[in-house]
Amino acid sequence: MSKSRKNHHPKFIHPSEETFARILDYYGIEWEYEPRTFPLAWDEEGNVSEAFAPDFYLPEQDLYIELTTLRPELTNRKNRKMRRMQELYPSINVKLFKRRDIRNLMVKYGLDQQAQRIAGTEAQEDQ
Amino acid sequence: MIEDSSNRSEELRANIREILFSTEQIEERVRAMGAEISMDYAGRNPLLVGVLKGVLFFMADLLRSISIPVEVDFMAVSSYSPEARERGLVRLVKDLETPLVERHVLFVEDVVDTGLTLNYLLQNLRSRKPSSLEVCTLFNKSQHRLINIPIKYEGFELPDLFVVGYGLDYRERYRNLPFVGLLKPEAFQSGSKNIFE
Repeated sequence: MSKSRKNHHPKFIHPSEETFARILDYYGIEWEYEPRTFPLAWDEEGNVSEAFAPDFYLPEQDLYIELTTLRPELTNRKNRKMRRMQELYPSINVKLFKRRDIRNLMVKYGLDQQAQRIAGTEAQEDQ
Repeated sequence: MIEDSSNRSEELRANIREILFSTEQIEERVRAMGAEISMDYAGRNPLLVGVLKGVLFFMADLLRSISIPVEVDFMAVSSYSPEARERGLVRLVKDLETPLVERHVLFVEDVVDTGLTLNYLLQNLRSRKPSSLEVCTLFNKSQHRLINIPIKYEGFELPDLFVVGYGLDYRERYRNLPFVGLLKPEAFQSGSKNIFE
């Protein structure tokens, strides 16, 4: 888990996560990066076989954020994980920012190059 | 001259794929909001505060639909950009001229999306000790809310789309369209590439 530090960010998996973190920093919003992993499925021996670690947690809002730049046709697995999260952890607030949402956010903040990079992304490994 | 400006208006409209809220729909809703605010704030001399620039059109129409004495003031805030980030945190670039102590303040927004800017501004305004502080927005885009902010007056729920018009811009353009609509994908250009393809 990594906490918000303005000049020392953790190693992000995707550039859009870093941009998102910078936007939160700018507005003075405290965040944590992948602070918690939620087990979603278990094998017969009780070992966790599937889990979900949302990208960000905003402690003041008690809100988890998951970003995905996957094309819509590739988000089935992510959507299923989100549904499973809601079933198993109904009291946990998680918001999914999809490819279009992230791109709109970038455009809103004048980050056309980053938006363009997302538009050019064919796929990102579904994690 | 008139022909020239008409051509420019047509150029803006030509980039609109679909109108989501017509001029008439917006007028009707703003009138209803103004009537509600007039009732709620009767005898309280409210101060309407807007953040530039997107709110200009809504603020002007809302003010004219309010039937009680009311005052108005504006502030402006730096938006996020790589350049602004280098200068540090978000900051006010234009402050209010009106003291807020013991005033009934209604913060007026064109659209509330993530709530990041609004959260910053409300914290700032609260520190000035107004008697009350409420939020009024023409458009609410609640799907992307990151900061939970109570909204007292809401015009329309905005779909999860990038819209322009009636104050909302793309690269400072389209604010002056009298309706709210969707841009055609080819209108989103970065260099020679289409961002929304």
